[in-house]
This record gives sequence, C-alpha cells and structure tokens, in this order.
Amino acid sequence: MDTEFVRVAYMIVVLSMYVNIGVSLYAALAKPNLVKKIIALTILGDSVNTFIILVGYRFWRPGVFLQPPVLTNLRPTSEVIRQFLEKAVDPIPQALVLTAIVINLAVTVFLATVALHMYRHFGTVNMDVVGRLKRYEVRKEMA
Amino acid sequence: MMAVDIVMGLLAASALISVIATVLAVQARDLLKAVIFSALQSVAYTLMYFMLMAPDIVLVYAAVAVGIYPLILILLIKKVGRYEV
Repeated sequence: MDTEFVRVAYMIVVLSMYVNIGVSLYAALAKPNLVKKIIALTILGDSVNTFIILVGYRFWRPGVFLQPPVLTNLRPTSEVIRQFLEKAVDPIPQALVLTAIVINLAVTVFLATVALHMYRHFGTVNMDVVGRLKRYEVRKEMA
Repeated sequence: MMAVDIVMGLLAASALISVIATVLAVQARDLLKAVIFSALQSVAYTLMYFMLMAPDIVLVYAAVAVGIYPLILILLIKKVGRYEV
C-alpha cells in the first residue's frame, strides 16, 4: 500500500470534481442557449452528488478489504455485524444521493418542458434574443 | 496490498476523463455533440460510483444519466434546433 500514491489520487479526484463544478456553473450562467444551460445543470448536480458519495468513503487500512454497505446475511450474529461495520462504507450519503438523482431527473424533465414552451412562444431558445424580445413587448404594452 | 492502488488509480483516471468530457460538452457548438459528451461524462461518473462502493447507485444512475437524460434532451433538440448560435 503506497500512501503517497493514494493521497495524490484522492487529490486528483477532489480537484477534478471542483473543476467540473466550476466549468458547469460557468456554462449554466454564461451560455445563452437554454438546452446548453440544462445540460450544464445536469452535470452540476451529478458532480455535487459524487462529492456527497466521496464524503461517505473511508480510508483503506492495511489488511481490510472495503465492501459495499449491503448485508447479505439474513440472520446475522453480532460477530458478523462487527466484521461488516469494520469493512463497509457509510450508507447514508448513498441513500440521500439515490433520492437526489431521481429528483434531478424530474427537475430536468420540467425544465425541458419549459424550454419547449419558450421556443413555441418566442421562436428561439437563445436567452439574449428572448430578453430583447421581452423588452420590446414591454415597451409596446407601455406605449 | 495492491487493491487500494488499483481502485484509487481507476478513480483518478475516470475523474480526469470526466473533466475532459465536461469541457468538451461545454465548448461544443453542436448541441447533439454536447449531449453525447455529457453522456460520456456520465459513464465516467458511473465508474467512479462503482469504485466508491455504491452499486445500487450505479444501477439507478446508469439508466437515468446514459438513457433518459439524452432521450429527453435529444427530443428537445429535435424540436428546438441543433446548432447553438
């Protein structure tokens, strides 16, 4: 077990998650196209979910092989449970993320419907053009 | 023990692949290409979830992020127009 390599790999994972969050946040804020904004929003949610899963991971100790938090023994004795607790990763972030993925799916479907309605109303999904058109309509109503 | 080195190496490799796919998806002018690159990024995240000992999330996330997201977005792109101005 090479501790230095493990530390460098962990730093690479954390830094690349930060880079993903930054790049997708930039795209969601600065790109004018609504479809591109929706794609960036899905990437942002998935990156945050991966961060939450990474919190529940645990350090590898020598001689212990980690396992998923799934107890396959139907009638466990206390000895089996003790060994399970030494090896399994934290299940609570995984349960939360499982819910968050489904909620993200519902939000994405809703945003796609909103984008489709905006396209039918304005004839474009470019938000710069939509802002100009809205200003024009407001000025026409004020006059 | 070699297992930890293999797991952490694959984790770092798929994280780097996901960074490359995200940057390509953000800078692509063709929205269909952007959807395909975001699906590639989702495959990298699926590998990371598998390495992080979360097999139940792999089962849900692979179906949602590689199947249903591109389906919805491609249907939307078909109506809205393929190229970003």
